[in-house]
Amino acid sequence: MSVSCLEMRAIEMRYGDGAQAVHALKGIDLDIREHEFITIVGPSGCGKSTLLYLVGGFLRPSAGSLSLRGHPIAGPGPDRGIVFQRYSLFPWLTVRGNIGYGLDEQGVPRAERNKIVDEYVRLVHLQGFEDRYPRELSGGMQQRVALAQTLACKPDILLMDEPFGALDAQTRRILQDEVRRIWRRDTKTVLFVTHDVEEAVALGTRIVVMAARPGRIKEVHERGFDVGDGEEFETNAAFAALKLRIWRSVKAEVEAANP
Amino acid sequence: MPLLTRLIPIVVVLGAWELVARAGVVNPNVFPPVSEIAVRWVQVFADGRIWAPLWGTLWRALAGLAAAIVVGIPLGLLMGRARWAEWFFEPLFSFGFPLPKIALIPLYVSWFGVFSLSKVMLIFTDCLFPMVLFSYHGARGVSPIYLWSAQARGTGPVRMLWRVVLPLSLASIYDGIQVAVVVAVLVAVVSEMVSGGGGLGELMIRAYRYGDVRTAFATLVTISLIGFILFKLAQWVRGSLLHWHVAEA
Amino acid sequence: MKAFSIAKLVPLALLLAAWQAASISGLLPKAVLPPFSDVAASLTAMLGSGELISHTVASFGRAGAGFAIALIVGVALGLLMARRAVVQRAVEPILLLIYPVPKPAIIPLFMVWLGIGDASKIAVIALACLLPVVIATFNGTRSVDQMLIWSAQARGTSERRILWRVVLPAALPQIAAGVRTAIAIAIIVLVSSEFISSETGLGYLIFSYGGAGADDAMLAVVIYLAILGFLLDRFYLAGLRRLMSWHAFAH
Repeated sequence: MSVSCLEMRAIEMRYGDGAQAVHALKGIDLDIREHEFITIVGPSGCGKSTLLYLVGGFLRPSAGSLSLRGHPIAGPGPDRGIVFQRYSLFPWLTVRGNIGYGLDEQGVPRAERNKIVDEYVRLVHLQGFEDRYPRELSGGMQQRVALAQTLACKPDILLMDEPFGALDAQTRRILQDEVRRIWRRDTKTVLFVTHDVEEAVALGTRIVVMAARPGRIKEVHERGFDVGDGEEFETNAAFAALKLRIWRSVKAEVEAANP
Repeated sequence: MPLLTRLIPIVVVLGAWELVARAGVVNPNVFPPVSEIAVRWVQVFADGRIWAPLWGTLWRALAGLAAAIVVGIPLGLLMGRARWAEWFFEPLFSFGFPLPKIALIPLYVSWFGVFSLSKVMLIFTDCLFPMVLFSYHGARGVSPIYLWSAQARGTGPVRMLWRVVLPLSLASIYDGIQVAVVVAVLVAVVSEMVSGGGGLGELMIRAYRYGDVRTAFATLVTISLIGFILFKLAQWVRGSLLHWHVAEA
Repeated sequence: MKAFSIAKLVPLALLLAAWQAASISGLLPKAVLPPFSDVAASLTAMLGSGELISHTVASFGRAGAGFAIALIVGVALGLLMARRAVVQRAVEPILLLIYPVPKPAIIPLFMVWLGIGDASKIAVIALACLLPVVIATFNGTRSVDQMLIWSAQARGTSERRILWRVVLPAALPQIAAGVRTAIAIAIIVLVSSEFISSETGLGYLIFSYGGAGADDAMLAVVIYLAILGFLLDRFYLAGLRRLMSWHAFAH
């Protein structure tokens, strides 16, 4: 009954040729259904960001196919919005300018654009900061703008590349709740890459664990239970159990890479 | 980029020049073919015409540069660490910086005559600015931690400049030297073009006046080569001088 | 505009005062350096008579034209070189060849070629200013963060608009630094060319007054030129600060 949104078949990402070839990704098969929140977790070098960039259309796979709602992915576009960890805000535009950028590219007239921008400013709780420049904002606020500017283009799927990795722990928790809240409200499909196992379990309805050398999918876990906003899920037994299982799996990969 | 690939555009341009000049499309007395310039270049070296002016320009440039280094570095370092020196000198150098010192040629000629001294003084003045400014910035950028560490081991203020501030500012100072080297050659040549008194600049102007375009070009090539060689030399020395240097972000 | 305090003028004032004192007391003979008061009087007279203004227009007209050409061609070329490897491979060796040639040394050649009028001077200034602008644009464009470009692509920006809407603004700080260098070079080449051969312009005034022994008039123009250069640089920086108020290191 859940419709397929993103299909990845036999994805391979190879650098170099022959015996010297490095496989950033090998044999990736994954189906993502609409409204899922997929988190991808794994050690450094497992290719999780590479996979995200392939879905985003910034890179082309050496082999295999990717399709979004039945259409092959040919390049970047507003149907796949992306939030990076850093440097995705245009420093020369204000908050309003950054959020409205994608709409401007689509030719949305100014009056309507302003209305939409205001809506997204409210969504990420940045009222009052519309006319500030990125350098005047904290890291957490910058990432809120990054989120708003991506959502404003109404993408079919939201890609997030370790978006909270550069933030302090408290801000990270707050923004995780924000993302969950927005996902519930808009029921978007999300693909979220992280190296933080707790974050992966807190946000993902399905958690993909990857391994390195070659980059591949090791296992996929269904979370099976809900996580509420601001809930102290440390006391949730099911949460703790799942987190431990996944952590052990990831740890095994990290140790295998660093004997 | 492999060397051969880099040479291709140059060869193409020079080849086109040669063809255009020989075909008579442009007046060969305005734009002589490359081959004739090359021949003349060899000639001026062979018959010795160029040696005296070459040494003239070269030693003037180096003398002015040396003087600027000897005066400029200590002054710049002092400005970087002593408030009073900064207060007095920084505005003077800031203000003088945008003035093309070449505008002072007539003044220097009236003071020092038309031969080497006025040119060396002008080169000194022109090179002083980058030497002072780069030394100043280098000294300002020294982290207080180094100074405190030295003070805690009994270093007095004068020795501080010499033993601590100077080595730490060396990267910036050397940037200044690389800039100053190019300036020195440039100013030497321009002052010779404007006020005579021997040197490659005068040789080139005289060649133009007598319609000897080939010699003028040959001199131009020589001037460029000197600038290029000195710059590369400075770069090469930098490697060994600053091998210990760790670039701070 | 005043990111520059009046206090900075004090050392200059002291220097001028010392100059005047030395002249009046006889320590500094008139033949060596005329008193500052004479120079100031000369400057005021020249300003009043409009002589300075007309020559300023002549000089900065040339410099401005050459600079403008270099700016447009330089930015375009730098962008093209950074985005298309073919262009870089073709153009870079030629630029490296021109780089060590002192541009004032080309002035006589351009005069033989384009005559002794404005055209030759504008051409040399344009060539001299071209290099710093191209280099700065090239480096600035190359160092634009890939993530910014991807972020724009993911929001539907076409390849052509990427250059204009993302790459150019992102490279602007570095381009601006190159332009500042180009301004300084323009003035140097301008004065050199006016020394070598000209009948108008500030360089011409300095040269002819100097040759005629009218040192007070010559120095008046030199000081005037220094002030102009200083103001030009300051206005440029102030303008930059406003244009790039978004930049973290608005220097």
